[in-house]
Amino acid sequence: MLKHTISELKEALVCLEAGRVTLPYPFAPHAPEGEFRGKPVLNTRKCMSCGACGNACPARLISITDEAGVRTLRFELGRCTYCGNCRDACPQEAITLSQQFELSTASTSDLEIRGEFHLQVCRRCGAPIGTLRQVGVIRERLGVVPELQIADSGFLTLCPACRRASFLDNPALAVEVTRERA
Amino acid sequence: MSALDWCFKKSIWVYHVNAGACNGCDIEILDTLTPYYDVERFGIRLVHTPRHADALLVTGPVTRQVRDRLLRLYDATPDPKLVIAVGSCPTGGGIWHNSYATLGGLANVLPVAVYIPGCPPRPEAILYGVAQALGLVQQQVSAQAYAEVT
Repeated sequence: MLKHTISELKEALVCLEAGRVTLPYPFAPHAPEGEFRGKPVLNTRKCMSCGACGNACPARLISITDEAGVRTLRFELGRCTYCGNCRDACPQEAITLSQQFELSTASTSDLEIRGEFHLQVCRRCGAPIGTLRQVGVIRERLGVVPELQIADSGFLTLCPACRRASFLDNPALAVEVTRERA
Repeated sequence: MSALDWCFKKSIWVYHVNAGACNGCDIEILDTLTPYYDVERFGIRLVHTPRHADALLVTGPVTRQVRDRLLRLYDATPDPKLVIAVGSCPTGGGIWHNSYATLGGLANVLPVAVYIPGCPPRPEAILYGVAQALGLVQQQVSAQAYAEVT
C-alpha cells in the first residue's frame, strides 16, 4: 500500500517537472518542420505541360488530355502521397511542395489543380505535337548550339510522322540513299 | 438547429476503423490522443465499439475483404453519424486507386462527411478535419484552375 502511494507520488513529481506539454494547436498555428512536404503547388508561369510529372507520379494522379487545340493538365490531389517525385521530375522546376497541411475538405473536387495550355499542331496533318511553350523551349535550346542553328527550324512545327515523310520526300536526300545502296 | 448540431454540440466520440490501411494513419490517429495533442480536452474520445460512437474514423483504401465488415460497422453506429476519411487512401484510393483488391476509396462504399488527405496526415491535420466536420473551422482548400492566354 505504502509502496503504491510512493510510486504515485513519484509519478506526480515527474508530471510536475515536465510541466505543460500539450500544444495550443487549434488556437495557435503550429508550423511544420522545414523539410515537410505538403500540398503541391504548380507554378503556371514556368510549367510547359510536358507530362514528366505524370510519368513520375506513383499514384498516377496527374493526367494530360489534348482536345481542340488545348492541353489540359489535371492534378487530382485526393490520392496524392506527397512523395515529391513530380517536383524532382519537373525539368522547368515548376512544381514545389508547400507547407500547407490543413487540407480537409467535404468534397475531393476541391483538391484539384487544372491548367490549360495552348497546343502546337502539325502544319501538315494538324495532329498535336506539344504545347507552344514546349516548342518554344526546344527552339531556345537549339539556338544556343552553333552547329544546330543551320538546321531547318521548320521541322519543329511538324509531327514525327510528317517529319519523316517530308524527309523522305526530299529528292536530294533520296538520291543520296540510292547511291549508298548501289 | 438540426439533430446533428444538437447531438454534436459538446463532445464527439469516435470509433477507429482500419479498412486496409498500412498503419501510418492509424499511428497518427493514436498520436492525436497523446498528451502532446490531447484531443480529449475537446471531448473527442476513442471508443471501443461502434455502438458508442458518433463518428467513424476510417483509414485505408477499403479492400474487398473489409467491405462487408465496414458496412456492418456503419449500420451498428447509431444515427446521426459522421464518416471521416483519414489519409489519402480513403480519400481517393491512394496508390491503390485502380487495384483489383481495393474498392478505390471510401466514397464508393459510404457517404463521407469530411476527407482528410495526407500520407499520413499530420495529427494537426486530423484535428483540423474533425473540427471542420463539427463546423468549428472553415475549409481552407479550394479547386484551382488556370488557362494560358496568348
